[in-house]
Amino acid sequence: MMIPWPVKHRFLTPGVFVLILIALNGLVFLGIRFISGIGAVTNLNDYTPWGLWIGVDVGAGVALAAGGFTSAALGHIMHREHYHAIVRPALLTAMLGYTFVAFAVFTDIGRFYYIWHPLIMWNGTSALFEVGICVMIYMSVLYIEFMPIVTERFIGRVDLPDFISFLNKPVDRFLRYIDSRLALTMFIFIIAGVVLSTLHQSSLGTLMVIAGQKMHPLWQTPILPLLFLLSAIAVGFPMIMFESLLASRSFKIKPEMHILSRLGVMMSPILGVYIAAKIGDLFIRETFKYIAPLDGTAWMFIVEMALIIIPFFLFLSKKITNSVLGLFIASAFVIAGVLVNRINNFVVAYRPFFNPVEYFPSFGEISVTLGCIAMLVLVYRAIVMIFPVITQDRKDVYNKMIELDKSGPRRWI
Amino acid sequence: MKKTILIISPLLVICAFAISTLFSQNKHQGLNETVDKLNRNVVVSGKKDDPLTEKISCKTCHVTEYPTRKDPGLRSCPRDKMLSGFPSSKTGPDVVVINEMSENYSGVRFSHGLHSQMSEMSLGCVDCHHYNISTEEILKCSDCHNKNRSREEVSVPDLKSAFHRQCMMCHKQWSHDNGCNSQCHVRKGQENNLVQKDFTGKIHPKQKEPEKMIWETNYEKGKIVTFFHDEHIQLFKINCKSCHGNDKCVKCHDKPLQPTDYSKPIHRKKSFEEHHMPCLNCHKSENCQKCHRDQEMTPFNHGKSTGWILKSYHSQLACEKCHGGQMPVKKIDRNCSSCHKNFLPGKFEHKKTGFVLSETHKDMECKSCHANNDFAKNPDCKECHDDKSFPSQLPGKRK
Amino acid sequence: MKNQNRRDFLKTAAGIGASIGIAGSVKPAKASEKTLSDDRFGILVDTDVCVGCRHCEWACRVAHNIPTPDLDTYSDNSVFKEYRRTDASSLTVVNEFENEKNSAMPVHVKTQCMHCEHPACVSACIVGAFSKLEDGSVVWDGDKCIGCRYCMVACPFQIPTYDYDRSIDPQIRKCDLCFEKRKTEKLPACVNICPNEALLFGKRDDIVRIAKSRIKRKYDVYIDHIYGEKEIGGTSWMYIAGKDFEKLKLPKLNYSPAPGISESIQHGIFAYFVPPVTLYALLGTIMWITRKKKGDDSEIKDETNQDKKGGAL
Repeated sequence: MMIPWPVKHRFLTPGVFVLILIALNGLVFLGIRFISGIGAVTNLNDYTPWGLWIGVDVGAGVALAAGGFTSAALGHIMHREHYHAIVRPALLTAMLGYTFVAFAVFTDIGRFYYIWHPLIMWNGTSALFEVGICVMIYMSVLYIEFMPIVTERFIGRVDLPDFISFLNKPVDRFLRYIDSRLALTMFIFIIAGVVLSTLHQSSLGTLMVIAGQKMHPLWQTPILPLLFLLSAIAVGFPMIMFESLLASRSFKIKPEMHILSRLGVMMSPILGVYIAAKIGDLFIRETFKYIAPLDGTAWMFIVEMALIIIPFFLFLSKKITNSVLGLFIASAFVIAGVLVNRINNFVVAYRPFFNPVEYFPSFGEISVTLGCIAMLVLVYRAIVMIFPVITQDRKDVYNKMIELDKSGPRRWI
Repeated sequence: MKKTILIISPLLVICAFAISTLFSQNKHQGLNETVDKLNRNVVVSGKKDDPLTEKISCKTCHVTEYPTRKDPGLRSCPRDKMLSGFPSSKTGPDVVVINEMSENYSGVRFSHGLHSQMSEMSLGCVDCHHYNISTEEILKCSDCHNKNRSREEVSVPDLKSAFHRQCMMCHKQWSHDNGCNSQCHVRKGQENNLVQKDFTGKIHPKQKEPEKMIWETNYEKGKIVTFFHDEHIQLFKINCKSCHGNDKCVKCHDKPLQPTDYSKPIHRKKSFEEHHMPCLNCHKSENCQKCHRDQEMTPFNHGKSTGWILKSYHSQLACEKCHGGQMPVKKIDRNCSSCHKNFLPGKFEHKKTGFVLSETHKDMECKSCHANNDFAKNPDCKECHDDKSFPSQLPGKRK
Repeated sequence: MKNQNRRDFLKTAAGIGASIGIAGSVKPAKASEKTLSDDRFGILVDTDVCVGCRHCEWACRVAHNIPTPDLDTYSDNSVFKEYRRTDASSLTVVNEFENEKNSAMPVHVKTQCMHCEHPACVSACIVGAFSKLEDGSVVWDGDKCIGCRYCMVACPFQIPTYDYDRSIDPQIRKCDLCFEKRKTEKLPACVNICPNEALLFGKRDDIVRIAKSRIKRKYDVYIDHIYGEKEIGGTSWMYIAGKDFEKLKLPKLNYSPAPGISESIQHGIFAYFVPPVTLYALLGTIMWITRKKKGDDSEIKDETNQDKKGGAL
């Protein structure tokens, strides 16, 4: 019997310890950024105003959190109940991913204390405004979608410290009330989530269209929004597979291959559509001639394409979609492909006519990005240990709990 | 069907013709209007009989019938003639003090005498006194240029910039300096620290005319370039202004490179275009080897360069007698009759050459004796007479 | 999700229908349609007249309260050895270029914000901190700006600069055509100080006319092109020169307004909110249809419900 249940595992492992160190290193540079300004930490200048933080933290972050809406579309809107097991982890990834994006934006914008301005100051012509407002709403939607998991965890189990224990009952009643209301209206938020994702995933592509001739012609195309949306859809399931396989290995849970393999089979058509659009654009605009010089930029394009085309063939093979390692590698390829695509679009392709210093991210920038990712993983780990997110075999859970009970006094969960 | 075509086609031709004439008329109307406007502007100042106020026609400025932007076919500017009434450089004021707008700086002492004398090496008084078409009085700059920086009339610069444009365009070129303090201005209150040089009564020394100039260049196919300055002036009668019309001080003077000995030439770094344009203006269709040789060139020799040796009579003629006055020279036909219109069979008085033709030879065509009408070569008698030869046996009498 | 019934769904669907109606009747205002005055300003930079005295740089700093050395130090020509760009402490810079026609008279080109007719920064700014005023100037509002630097990405001339070394109140800086100063004075600081009147300030239409007549009159000096007359839909600052503009480091741009493509994509996606609302309705329909078909899922659902009830520890 499979049920979503809090994972029973030690929080601290050597791997986690390394992650904490990376996170701390990132926090140090983050501190410097907020005390002495962006220039003190980054290699950004007047010629390259956007760098790693926008390319990876925001661009790739939004894309890699796309698993949330693709799985919601599959599981809830198309009612493929078979896939319900992956919806919760995907939702958590999306929620944390968008929180991470929001934090990255907060770090990257110069006047971070004005981050709320787009809420009241609107500029309809700006693609960035559209992305900003959609991300804000979508993030709220994601938190609302996560609420039932919170209520499920605590209804009937509210156990506040002694001195406020008299509140246990009202809180429980309150949670039950929220749960019932949410159950009635949840479909609104689920559809809204998919619509909002479609909008801002594509608008993220529109962002760089306005850079016009400053963008390398290999990437500058009016169908950038479509390419961004297609690539976001394409990276959604691989991200779920990657993460699910990683989590099951880390927590020593049996991987849910019966679901993941079926997702893997769907991947080739999805990737195919994206590759077709990308190559079609290459030939319609006749930009393939820019690959010929084989300079650094052309190589980045080749790498990006290779990272997408290789998994297209990998996912075609039954052998690979049925093996844990095969799925893991294939999905890693897609993730790397989309990551490189976002870096290319926001950093590599941006070549202004006057650029005396070739931009390369500084140690501080890389530290902050890695630190944020480390923190994201740590929070994810903590949440799946507290809330019923990951689906596990009931027997295993029961056995583990008995083990834990034996080993010492009963913990909070 | 055929009939209709027959009727329509002449009609179409007529229509096309009518339309084309209509359009051409319109064009002329437009042109005439602008010419009229020009004329009105000119007539404003000056008397009726004054040559300056003659009606301007296209031909006043353009040599060619249909001037285009690429080839406007302009004569040298008639402004030169308009300003012929300027007093000579000696009669103008020697020093002019400009202190009309001085806020931060004390008055500028402009050595008008020296500048006007130097202007003779360039465009003359017009170089600064532009559009001053009246010959009776010299207009002050402030008569047209507004003292206030109001910029009501955007197309005319105000007084401050008018002065600056006149002075700085030259001064900056030879000094490479933009500083206000260094050349013209002295800050108020600092008059004692920076003393302006006194140019009162000074004149520019007379320039030497070179006979020939030889340059050694980097061009591999011909390192040596020889320029015969004297030939261009004396032989080809080229007007000084056609080459030196717009010379600025920087042509010879470059302050940072200035040698103490003024008799030595200055080798300013020039661009390819600057080096070649003075020659290419006339020598348009020539290839590089025309000037770039391995050795120094020899002076101009009509026989060598054209293959037509000038003999006793022709050598005494001025170039323009045959080639016309305009440079570059026209190539002319070697046929005698192309210049000597009366050198035709029957009309030519052969006795002018030193002997009279006999009756039998008189009616023959020239080329039967002078092969290919080449009169430089001796006639070949053997073509007809086996036993006769030139010049031992001549047809007819010697005069 | 689980207890959702058909009646709820219909209620919401009605709500969606109503919102389509509202969205269709309310027309969103477009920022780009702001009317420009016919008397809007234009400035001509005549590079043939400019002598590179850099007084404009000094005047600009003074006018914008940026610390500057004494005016006399600006006559130092050695700064021209390196190509310079505008930065947070210089809103305009003059650069020197070789002149093939007369090497003693190098070409000087002033760089500053071009004040486009259809500015990319105005279109791009997330909070609308940039605005194109009626008189043609493009100005920045520090009370709105969030410092995202999207304007710098969007600007085809790479003009806006950012204070990278300040954490609190960093400024986006660029020429503002002395918008504040011109409330009391007639001319922007750089135009006012220019000793040679290489900068011509007036109505844009007049400026274009004068530039054309200058090119016509001195056809041997200028190339027949006014840079900025048509580039990216026209700019307020325009240049005439005797040298190819690309060699003067003025980028070769096409004539369509910079924000054109991006704005039409935006308006395509958000045509009165019809596409998003349609998508919403479509997804809702799919959700409803698939749910009806899957009656046999009840088994699984019951199980999960049981799990939930029995799952208490």
